[in-house]
Amino acid sequence: MVMGSIKTGTDVAVIGAGPGGYVAAQRASQLGLDVTLIENEELGGTCLNHGCIPSKALITVGDLLYKVNHAADMGLVVKGSVEVDFAKTQDWKQNKVIKRLTAGVASLMKAGQVEVVRGKARFTDPHSLEVELNEGGTAAYSFKHAIIATGSTAINPSFFPLDGENVVDARGALAFREIPARFVVVGGGYIGVELGIAYAKLGGKVTIVEATGQLLPGTDPDLVNVLMRRLRRLGVTVMLNSRASGGLQDGKVKVQDGEGKAHEIEADKVLVSVGRVPYTEGLQLEKAGVKVDEKGFIPVDDRMRTNVPHIYAIGDVCSPVMLAHKASAQGRVAAEAIAGLPSAADWRTVPAVIFTDPEIAYVGLTEAQAREQGYDPVVSRYNFAAVGRALTMGESDGMVKLVGDRRSGLLLGAQMVGPEVSELIGEMALALEMGAQVEDVALTPHYHPTLSEGILEAALSWIHGIEKAGRK
Amino acid sequence: MAFEFKLPDVGEGLHEAELLRWLVKEGDTVTEDQPIMEVQTDKATVEITSPVNGKVVKLFGQPGDILKVHSVVVIFDDGSPGALPTAGEVASGVAAAAPGGDQPQASLDVPAPAAPQPAAPGAPAQAPPAGGGAPAPGGRALAAPATRRLARELGVDINQVPGTGPAGRVTSEDVRAFAAGRTAPAPGQAAGAPPAPEPVEAKPAPQAAPAPATAAAAADPADERIPLRGIRKVIAERMVKSKYTAPHVTAVEEVDMTELLAFRAQAKELAARKGIKLSFMPFVIKAVVAALREFPYLNASIDDEAQEIVLHRRYHIGFALDTDAGLLVPVIKDADRKPVFTIAAEMNDLIARGREGKLAPDEMRGSTFTISNQGSIGGLFFTPVINHPEVAILGIGKTAERPVVRNGEIVIRQMAHLALSFDHRLIDGGMATRFLLRLAELLGDPNLLMMEAM
Repeated sequence: MVMGSIKTGTDVAVIGAGPGGYVAAQRASQLGLDVTLIENEELGGTCLNHGCIPSKALITVGDLLYKVNHAADMGLVVKGSVEVDFAKTQDWKQNKVIKRLTAGVASLMKAGQVEVVRGKARFTDPHSLEVELNEGGTAAYSFKHAIIATGSTAINPSFFPLDGENVVDARGALAFREIPARFVVVGGGYIGVELGIAYAKLGGKVTIVEATGQLLPGTDPDLVNVLMRRLRRLGVTVMLNSRASGGLQDGKVKVQDGEGKAHEIEADKVLVSVGRVPYTEGLQLEKAGVKVDEKGFIPVDDRMRTNVPHIYAIGDVCSPVMLAHKASAQGRVAAEAIAGLPSAADWRTVPAVIFTDPEIAYVGLTEAQAREQGYDPVVSRYNFAAVGRALTMGESDGMVKLVGDRRSGLLLGAQMVGPEVSELIGEMALALEMGAQVEDVALTPHYHPTLSEGILEAALSWIHGIEKAGRK
Repeated sequence: MAFEFKLPDVGEGLHEAELLRWLVKEGDTVTEDQPIMEVQTDKATVEITSPVNGKVVKLFGQPGDILKVHSVVVIFDDGSPGALPTAGEVASGVAAAAPGGDQPQASLDVPAPAAPQPAAPGAPAQAPPAGGGAPAPGGRALAAPATRRLARELGVDINQVPGTGPAGRVTSEDVRAFAAGRTAPAPGQAAGAPPAPEPVEAKPAPQAAPAPATAAAAADPADERIPLRGIRKVIAERMVKSKYTAPHVTAVEEVDMTELLAFRAQAKELAARKGIKLSFMPFVIKAVVAALREFPYLNASIDDEAQEIVLHRRYHIGFALDTDAGLLVPVIKDADRKPVFTIAAEMNDLIARGREGKLAPDEMRGSTFTISNQGSIGGLFFTPVINHPEVAILGIGKTAERPVVRNGEIVIRQMAHLALSFDHRLIDGGMATRFLLRLAELLGDPNLLMMEAM
């Protein structure tokens, strides 16, 4: 653009091309709207480039290595050792996984005739944006509707500042060129634990420092207990109620444990994963009149509208439950709302999955939440140790928990820890959205021999327990 | 030990009920299923029975109190040992062995024995498990995502839709039926969508053979059983409400329509030039409004709660419309302020959209007086049911040539019968008859009607 005053008009300006933004752009274009998608980095956002996808790639490699080295029971004997060419691993992750996916997003945008603008957007008034183009210069856009999908960014805490090289956030830790021999993770949330386990399996000596009394704060302790046992077996040191501070000095991290005792832990690399905050820096939301709350999130209604009715916000930028699949679902709602469809974010629940070893997944209400909401919850459990398929995989740790309402028989929630539960939770999410009773699950034949029988058995024992209580 | 008895949902998704009286006192010994209290919902009086054998330790609430459903109303000592477990960790149900034949590993947290279900077994009218579109405490309708979307598309609040699916799930069909009928205004709401005048069937109603007395109990395989729901259910409820609330009396008068029909024939051509189809109903509406002005007690309602008579200053005239889905009553608002042609155009539009099921609830709400024209189909006269909470309804029979005596001679005139059903709580026979005579006078003389009503 020669002059900033010449504006290109668009029906929908989508700011941010992560799993929220690009899905919104695609849906809006499907509905016949003229869409401009603005992104100053790679298409696919944090999830695809620096989050979900690359971490799963490394986790898979770590799993594979660990399994091969620990399959002597099954008769696989490794003579010598399996070498890890980590640079190659990173190449594979970057070129065979991420690039393919970003290219896929690009072709989707092209197919939808979405105009992709590379640059950083800022509002200039409630109907205009200016984009600082990556290629230099600026471009101005006027829009009828805007969707803010700028996501979140890792907290860089003052008590343990990132140095961009040895003290890094998840994005940095996913891009290590070699496996850190000694790796300290500050913050035992899902990002820290996932990456801690991956590097432990790849051969690193890993210590996870968590400030609260439990890893994965907020997760059902029953699930976390199973994880803790596995972490001990993997040789991962977990320090709870402990605080790291002061950064990496002379190859050491200072940690004060729950009893006030000071430790010095040797480390080559430190991952700081103490949370993420909404990312709206430089957007000039105030010029559009869009309000943020005290934590920086943009409040939205169930149609994803901000306080400015023609401006929408989706994904991490509007709520602390930061999940890519939620952002995508919200993106579809926003696009459809703009197109005049009666869509709303009315799902009952969004499943959460943590790719630890074993995996953790949950959806709906826990027993405690169900009771708070006035249900009469009954919980059943079934251990994977009794599921044939789990044993054949050598993965017998973990369980399926189902929460159901005694009065109505409704399924209220499911919590799982164990092999591939990230794939199993989908069935429970569908059941919850369909308003299933536990009995519906129990009466559905499940394929044998599969891990899904864990769900079936948990449902059957739920019913059985109710029957028994009724008979007495 | 202590067993806390919570007030069960005694109706369809009710949230509260009024305590009428206790049938037991603290210290009494009760047996299971013994009546312990009477509560009143906005639909019925319900006797609640004891869920346990035991002793009444404490009663919560005085007669007249409003009790919340699921709140604790009685504490019993049921004599069982130990405190009543909640859904705590009572472990150890052993489930069936896994298909692999391995040692079973399941455990189940089920509260131990004999915890009777809070919904008393003997409680009458127990709600279906999660029915009524209100699945327990979450308060959200049980419905699949696609059904929820459909509801939004049809502008229906899914939480209001009665569910007929398994466990009270709201199905897409339920949503469509609800949308088509625009059923069930909230209890207490004033005359709403499909209200209550006598339905006038366009098609001869299927002549169901009189059912044998036992039919309900043992369904004859030949009988077709259709769930009573949607618009039909609302009509049923509202008819019952009207008939049980207002003591109906019907007065009948004959009216000479000859002049009015001749006048209408002329006016019809004028209307046609404006593209309006003109029936004689707009004239009837005008005549009714003129008569109502003179008899304000017929354009009124009784506020049962406040025990007051409400005289309406506005003239919103409902008219019964027979549709495939059932009876609807669209409303001509402020009929006193509108010219005949405007009323005709509005009626035509309401009729057309009403038959397509496309009327908004607002267009069928707020009438102050209702007219039901049976005559377009036939029938001498009939006794219409008042559109509650209105206090009167006019039924019009068919207009036909009949011999009548005029000035000592038999002549042939276009005659019709007017039937006025009125609420005898408010209106006495004298007033009703005078109103009806005045109406017949106005309809019989278009010139007078022009002077008085237009």
